[in-house]
Amino acid sequence: MSAVTQGALAAAVDLNGPGHYLNWGVIQISAANLVIIGVMIVVFVLALLLPFPKGRGRR
Amino acid sequence: MSRRSRAAEPDPYSFGSRPYDLVKEFTIALVAVLALSIALAAVFSSPDKRPVTIATWAKADSADFTATALAELDGTSGTAQYGPPYNNASEGQKLGPVGLANLMGVTRPIDTAQDFVIRPLRSAAQTAIVSSAVARYTAASGAQQNTWTGNYSNALDKANGDPTKIAPGDYGPVPTMLTALLAQARAGSLDGQLLTESGVFYQTDYTLPLLFLADGSYLANLAGQDHLAGTQWGMMNETGNYPGQAWLWLYTFWYQISPYNNSTNGDALVWGTMAVLSLVFVFLPFIPGLRSIPRYIPVYRLIWREHYRDLRARGGT
Repeated sequence: MSAVTQGALAAAVDLNGPGHYLNWGVIQISAANLVIIGVMIVVFVLALLLPFPKGRGRR
Repeated sequence: MSRRSRAAEPDPYSFGSRPYDLVKEFTIALVAVLALSIALAAVFSSPDKRPVTIATWAKADSADFTATALAELDGTSGTAQYGPPYNNASEGQKLGPVGLANLMGVTRPIDTAQDFVIRPLRSAAQTAIVSSAVARYTAASGAQQNTWTGNYSNALDKANGDPTKIAPGDYGPVPTMLTALLAQARAGSLDGQLLTESGVFYQTDYTLPLLFLADGSYLANLAGQDHLAGTQWGMMNETGNYPGQAWLWLYTFWYQISPYNNSTNGDALVWGTMAVLSLVFVFLPFIPGLRSIPRYIPVYRLIWREHYRDLRARGGT
């Protein structure tokens, strides 16, 4: 694969560098996992709080 | 047999109804997830670690490879001492008095000297010196083999693991065999030989090369650098800055605390704990107290708040 093709296919954000980890006592978690867990909690809360869409034909 | 009279059920058609297009919802969800996956893949790509093979190991750390091959030859490696399912060298993992590994027995027999050293040496074209070294070793008594490997192991320790700095001694054919195996490994042929020992052409069973790699310290060191070791919550991590298997947090949590992290039966203990917790989860509707959690934390009222608001407005609860 040419360098030009590789450059075109390269990821916009390269996450292959050394990982970042947070330590708190016995707990050790990667920053990436923490972000994903945070996003899951946000999506869960939004699913609870956002109102159901109301269909036009609702009786 | 008596049949109790049932209370009259309300007519389902008397309730309000709303149109609901399941196919539409499924299609929207599918397209949204697909678009999100493509967009995230384009932006972040995926982990791009080079695979660790026997060849990369032998090239990067020949001393560790030689020491591990010697341990496979004299039966002192982790695999050789593991017990079931590979051998009967120990009783394996136990859960209290129950020997879980022993119950299943030796289902994947592995003779580390034969499978990792002698057979690969025999299956490749060798010089006459190497062939006669293998023949001499296999013809020797067990006591003689132990003397040779023991002497070589001590000499390796004194030479800080460097085979080129070993003092002369009574090692028999062991140095010749291990040097030949190292050459095979560095050339890349040992990876293929360990895969094809079962005689199956299309091979997907990587047990032998993985166990050989795992018996050395090279793979463990690499895993440690990437926070993938069991003591580093490794089960839920991924290489680099990629998110891993966060849903395995509870499984890997047990490995960080006592008695799981210092027990020789840690795997069985974690498995047993998770089995008990899984049963609690399955039988949650039948467990007093736990089954009442929704009553104490009424999240469902938040979800169906409109319904309960209407109910309150009509004088209900």
